Amino acid sequence: MTTRLLAQKIVVAALGLALFVSAGISFHRSRNLAEPVVLGPGVTSVKKLGEYFAAIRGTVNDCNLYFMEGREPGGTMLVLGGSHAEEPAGRLAAWLFVENGTVEKGRVIVALSANRSASTMTRLGGAYPPDFTIDTPSGPRMFRMGDRWTNPLDQWPDPEVFIHYPSGQELAYVDIRNLNRTWPGRPNGTFTEKTAFAFMEMIRREKVDVAIDLHEAELQYPVISTIVTHQRGQELATMVSMMLTDNEDFKIGTEFSPLTLHGLSHREIGDHSPAISLLFEAPEPFLDATRGITSREQLLTGKDEFVVKAGRHGLLFEEIDEKGWPIAVRVGRHTSSILQVAETWSEDNPAKPLAISGVPRYAEVIEKGVGAFLQDVTKAGKDRLAYE
Amino acid sequence: MSMFTQAGIVLATMLAVYVAARLFRLSTELGMLAAAIGGALVGGFGLPARHIAEGAATYLDINLIFVTATLFMNLLKESGGVAFVVRAILQRFHRSRVLMLVLLTILLLVPGALTGAGSVTVLVTGSLVAVVLHYMGIPKHKAAALVFVNACLSAAAPPVSLWAMMTAAGVNMPYVGFFWPLLLPCLAAGLLTSFILGWKGERTDAIKALAELPVPPAGMNWLRVLLPFAVFFGLVWMGRQFPHSTPIIGLPMMFAAAAFASYLLSPVRLEFFRISRETIDQLLPLLATLTVAGILVQIMTLTGARGLLAVTAVTLPVAVVYATLFLVLPASEAVLMWGAAPVIGVPLVLLFNARGLDPIVALAGMSLIWPLGDALPPTAIIGRLTVEIVGFKGAYGRFLRACLVPAIVIIVIGTLMVIYSKKLGFLTGL
Repeated sequence: MTTRLLAQKIVVAALGLALFVSAGISFHRSRNLAEPVVLGPGVTSVKKLGEYFAAIRGTVNDCNLYFMEGREPGGTMLVLGGSHAEEPAGRLAAWLFVENGTVEKGRVIVALSANRSASTMTRLGGAYPPDFTIDTPSGPRMFRMGDRWTNPLDQWPDPEVFIHYPSGQELAYVDIRNLNRTWPGRPNGTFTEKTAFAFMEMIRREKVDVAIDLHEAELQYPVISTIVTHQRGQELATMVSMMLTDNEDFKIGTEFSPLTLHGLSHREIGDHSPAISLLFEAPEPFLDATRGITSREQLLTGKDEFVVKAGRHGLLFEEIDEKGWPIAVRVGRHTSSILQVAETWSEDNPAKPLAISGVPRYAEVIEKGVGAFLQDVTKAGKDRLAYE
Repeated sequence: MSMFTQAGIVLATMLAVYVAARLFRLSTELGMLAAAIGGALVGGFGLPARHIAEGAATYLDINLIFVTATLFMNLLKESGGVAFVVRAILQRFHRSRVLMLVLLTILLLVPGALTGAGSVTVLVTGSLVAVVLHYMGIPKHKAAALVFVNACLSAAAPPVSLWAMMTAAGVNMPYVGFFWPLLLPCLAAGLLTSFILGWKGERTDAIKALAELPVPPAGMNWLRVLLPFAVFFGLVWMGRQFPHSTPIIGLPMMFAAAAFASYLLSPVRLEFFRISRETIDQLLPLLATLTVAGILVQIMTLTGARGLLAVTAVTLPVAVVYATLFLVLPASEAVLMWGAAPVIGVPLVLLFNARGLDPIVALAGMSLIWPLGDALPPTAIIGRLTVEIVGFKGAYGRFLRACLVPAIVIIVIGTLMVIYSKKLGFLTGL
C-alpha cells in the first residue's frame, strides 16, 4: 500500500469515526431523553403497563399509566397517546390531561407513550428532528420526536409478510412493528404484539368503558379530521361529532371502523373487550410526502407552501392555507374531542358518569398555546414528578 | 425567501455538486454523497451527522438481503450447480431452439429475481449462458444485449425488486401485491427479448459448447442444485403457513440458510471465506450505492428538495408524465442508480395514486423501465459488466443498438401498465 493511499484511508477512517461518534451521541440522547411529567391534581396513582403482563415488565415499553380516580364512582375512560410517536399532538393532548385534569366522577387512565420504543428513534430516510420544544411560562420543555414503528433495536428482523393475529389478514411486513396494526396482540408474539396484549389485559382488568387512541394524519390520507369508531360506538361518536361541529370552531367527521380491516385499535379493542373503541385523527402536514423543509418549525406550525400547492390541485383530503395547522390547533381538537366524549358518554350512561375538569378545550388551547398548560417542573415536588 | 426558492437553490446546488464531482472523476457514490453534503450546507443544516448516519441505515435490510442472496448464488456457482444446469439444458434441448431460448431466459431471470441485482445474473449465469448463445450462432453484441436485457428484467422480477421496494417504502405502501404485476411482464418481456435477439442464428453446436463450458464436479445432481432453493422457499412457506408459531428470521437469514444448504450439499469442498470475501468485493459498489442513496434521500427530505420534486411531479399534467417515462426513468437510473426510485419514483407514485391509478401496477410498470438505464452513461455499470463478461470487444454503441428493440418493447409494456394500471389491478390479488 502506498503512503498516499494509506493517508487517504486514515483520513476517511477518521471522518467516519467522527461521524459515528457525533451521530451516536445524538441517537443516544434521543433514546434516553427523559421527559418530565408534572402530576396534576387529578393524578391519584402511576402504574406500569408491566403490572398487567409480566413479559413487558422492565422493557422499554413498560410505560407509565396515569390513573385519575374521581371522587365519585362512574365509568372508566382510557386515553392513549403515542401509539404513533411521530404524531406529537396525540401525546401532548394526553399530557394536558395528566398535568391539568381533575376527575370528579369516574376514572381516566392515560398513557403518554403507548409505544415508548417508537418514541426513541426517528424514521430512517424521513429526516425528522430528534426532538422538539414547547415554550411554557416557566421555560422550554423538550419532547422526543418519534417514529410510527417500534425501534428495530427492540424488535428485529421483520418477517417477509406480516400476518395479523388472530385474523390471519396479510399486512405490510414493517407493520409488525406498528402498535396500531398489532391489536389485540398475543402473549407469545413479537414485542409490539406483547405490548398490545398488555394494553388489552389492562383494558379488560380495569373494566375500561371507552378507549380513545389519539393520532394525526397526513393531509393526503383520506381518514383525517375524523373519529373512527367501532360499531358499538357509532351513536356516541356521531353525537360527539355533531356537538363539536355545532359548539366549537372546528369540523370533525365520523367514520365506522371497517369490519374486515384488522389490527387497528378502533376494531380490535372493541372486538376483544367490552370497551367502546374510538380513534381520533387530526391533520399533520409534517407527515405529507410533498412536504417542504423538514424541521421543528414545520412540525409545530404545520405551515408548508408545498402542501398548500398540493391542496390547490385538489390532492388533499383536508384544507390547508398559509396559516398551516399549528400544534395548538391539533392538540385543542383532541382535548375538546376527549372532553366531549366524556360529556356525551355521561348523558347516555348516567349510571357510569365521567366528569372531568381543568383540561383546556380547543379555543383555550389556541388562545393561550399548549405551553400555557404545561406545569412548572421546578415547582413540582419529587413525589409529583414522573418521567416518560 | 419562499420555500420554493430555498428548496430550488438546494436542488440546483446538489445537481451542480454532483456534476462537478463526476467531472473530477469521483465515483457515482461519492458524487451522490458530495451532492448530499452540498445540499445540507446550502440548506443551512451544516454537516448533519445524525441525518447522514440515519440515511445510511435506511436500506440496511435491503443490503443484507443483497449480500446473503448473492452469497447463495455464488456458492451455487462455485459448487458447479450452475454449470450443471446449463449443461443439462444444452444436452437435453439443443435440438430445439425455442426450448433453448425459453430455458436460458428462465436461467437468466432467476438469480436477479432472488437477489434484486442484475449484476448477479450477469456474474452467476451470464457468462455460461453467453457460451451457449455463442454456439447457437448468435453474434457477441447480440448475446451481450440478450444477457443484459434479461439481467435488467431479472432485477425487476419478484420476489426482490429494489425499485418497487424502495419506492413503496417511500410512500408508506406495503410491498405486497407486486408478485404477479412484476412476474408476468418480466417473463413476457424476457422471452420476447430472447426471441428477438436469439432467433436468428445457426444450429446449436452442442459438442463445441459442452467442450467450452466448465464441467461440474462428479456427484453434482439435481437434488444438490434444487435442495437449497427448497430450503429458501420452504422457509417462506412456513412463515406464511404457520406465522404465529414460526420464529421470524427475516429474508436475509432465509437466504443465508439457503446458502448454507448449498455449501453443505456441494460435492466439492468450497472455500467459504474466499467466496464470502469475493461476494462482498463484487457487491461493494452496489452496497455503496444503496447506502449513499439513503443519505441523499434523507438530505433531500431534510432540505425540502424531495418535497419540491414531489409537489412538482404531482401537479404535472399526467399525460406529460406518461409521455416522458421512457426518458425520465432510464435517465434517472443512469445518474442515481437505485437512488432514482425514492427520488423520482415516490412523487410519481403519489401522482398516479392521486389520479386514481393503481399504484402497485403502475409502480411495477415503472420498475420494468428503470433498469434499462443501467446500460447508459455516466454509470453504465451493468452494461459494461455484461459486455466484459460476454467477451464482446466491439464498440459499446453497437451493444447499445442491439438493446434498442427489446428496450422499446419493455418501455411500451411498462408505460401501458402505468396507463392501464387500474384495469390491471386484479393482478395484485388485493
